Amino acid sequence: MSATTSTTMFPKTRKLAWLMHLFLIGYSLLILLPLTWVVMGALKTNREMFTDPIALPKDPNWGTFITAWDDGVRDYFFNSVIVSGFSVALIVVISAMAAYALTRLNFPFRRGLYLIIILCFAIPMHAVLVPIYVLLSDFGLLNTHAGLILPYAAFGLPFSIILMYSFFYEFPTELEEAAKLDGCGPWRRLWHVVLPLSKPILVSVAIFNLVSIWNEFLLATIVMTSPEVQTLPLGLVRFRDQYATNWPGMLAAITIGSLPLLAAFVAFQKYFIRSMAGMGK
Amino acid sequence: MFSKGREPVSALLLLFPMLVLLGGFIFLPLGQVFVWSLFQQEVFGGPQRFIGLANFAEMGSDRVFWQALVNNMIFAVLSIVLQVGMGLVLAALLDHGVRRFRVVYRTIIFAPIVVSTAAIGLLWGLMLDPNIGPITDWMSLFGVPMPRNGILGEPDLALVGTIFVGAWQYTGFMMVILLAGMQSIPEELYEAARMDGCKGIRAFINITLPSIRNVIVTCVLLTVIGAFKVFDLVYVLTNGGPGTATEVLASYIFRNAFEFSNIGYANAMSVVFLGIALIFGVIQHRMIRK
Repeated sequence: MSATTSTTMFPKTRKLAWLMHLFLIGYSLLILLPLTWVVMGALKTNREMFTDPIALPKDPNWGTFITAWDDGVRDYFFNSVIVSGFSVALIVVISAMAAYALTRLNFPFRRGLYLIIILCFAIPMHAVLVPIYVLLSDFGLLNTHAGLILPYAAFGLPFSIILMYSFFYEFPTELEEAAKLDGCGPWRRLWHVVLPLSKPILVSVAIFNLVSIWNEFLLATIVMTSPEVQTLPLGLVRFRDQYATNWPGMLAAITIGSLPLLAAFVAFQKYFIRSMAGMGK
Repeated sequence: MFSKGREPVSALLLLFPMLVLLGGFIFLPLGQVFVWSLFQQEVFGGPQRFIGLANFAEMGSDRVFWQALVNNMIFAVLSIVLQVGMGLVLAALLDHGVRRFRVVYRTIIFAPIVVSTAAIGLLWGLMLDPNIGPITDWMSLFGVPMPRNGILGEPDLALVGTIFVGAWQYTGFMMVILLAGMQSIPEELYEAARMDGCKGIRAFINITLPSIRNVIVTCVLLTVIGAFKVFDLVYVLTNGGPGTATEVLASYIFRNAFEFSNIGYANAMSVVFLGIALIFGVIQHRMIRK
């Protein structure tokens, strides 16, 4: 965190500092204990789980992870990778194109179009489920990856465009003017001049959308009814309904499903925090 | 800024993919929700019968609809207290409270945000399970009795339990937004106040809180909008039950459309839902522009 906050504003008595740490440690444990319990539980046998749910596993049973992976989690995992990967790529490219046109080019109804995009941001997917289901059904897109990718891309666009719009808006135009004098059209100015200098906002937009799409549940429930195409959140719930008595297997599935984003978050937490804190602006 | 001429053509090409996606998946469905809310329909692809505003009239006397709406409101109010309240405390401690391990605390507290709500619902469903969940064991260590059906099995406690699980996941999100706001307050403000003998809690009340007023309002709005959109958590933790005790708008719309063969009614409730979303959306937009 920044150096400007290094001075403490609360009285610097030892006792108070200890109390504040104690509070933060307590709250951190409240977060960490359930998460650790999941991993520990996955390593136990079902019998251990029932007789003593709190105890540590006596003989860690790593095989549970392999069984869960082979038992469907692999398919859910790759479905999630495909759906999230394509959706996020579409959102980043399309929102950059749109935001560029909205901030740099002159065309009729420009201001009105931006207001419409802001309006779209306020419309939740929850409120148009039935028509989206009918549309996907008419085009034969139910139970296909495209059936999730296209609506995810559409609903990811408004906020991404708003973020990029304000970034491009404050972005200096001198370089583009120079490129224009050299005969570069709007496309080349966007791809070769603006985008290479816009990495921070592109990363923010990508992370923000990745987190929400990787974890999306409601639309996926409706669109993906056959198990072969289901994404991780659905697969995990399906796992519960199927293996109601196999607790370690379920906990292993939860662990595998949550690990990729958790690992990415710990590795790149600066970018994650910046991306998510952007919601407050 | 740049000259005119071919620009509208380039603009149309650049905007085209966006126009297709927003048109197809947001505007077309939006219109259909309004039109279809005036019809009765039982199966997808089946016949539609025009019934005017009868679906909206049905809402008036539908006890479960009102219960869902009230549950959303309880969700909103309690979530504001828990998430924004606790988020403020945690952010203040990380901003001007402790000096060491701040990144460690922030990382841990924020971590649940990147886990899917479905997985968190499963995890807490197991934790709170009355037979084998560890919560019952932990509570008995402190001598706290737990209901026999578990917290989520009691009509009076299930909603509150669900709200707490939601707060467990999202408080870190609020903390990070509030912390970003606090860190943009110039240090000179605090120093000037310290000269006047204002520090500690008083500096927090007199400087920090007023400076991040807008950020706090944004957090409150985000929480309210989130509370009206809640679905995953309810679906996984309680599935609306026991009975209809934890039914919320999104889950009730979902149930009517895809379980009760009541598609027209689901669309009518979607119109109400849209109205609520737009009201908060407009307030949020006004705030952002300030």
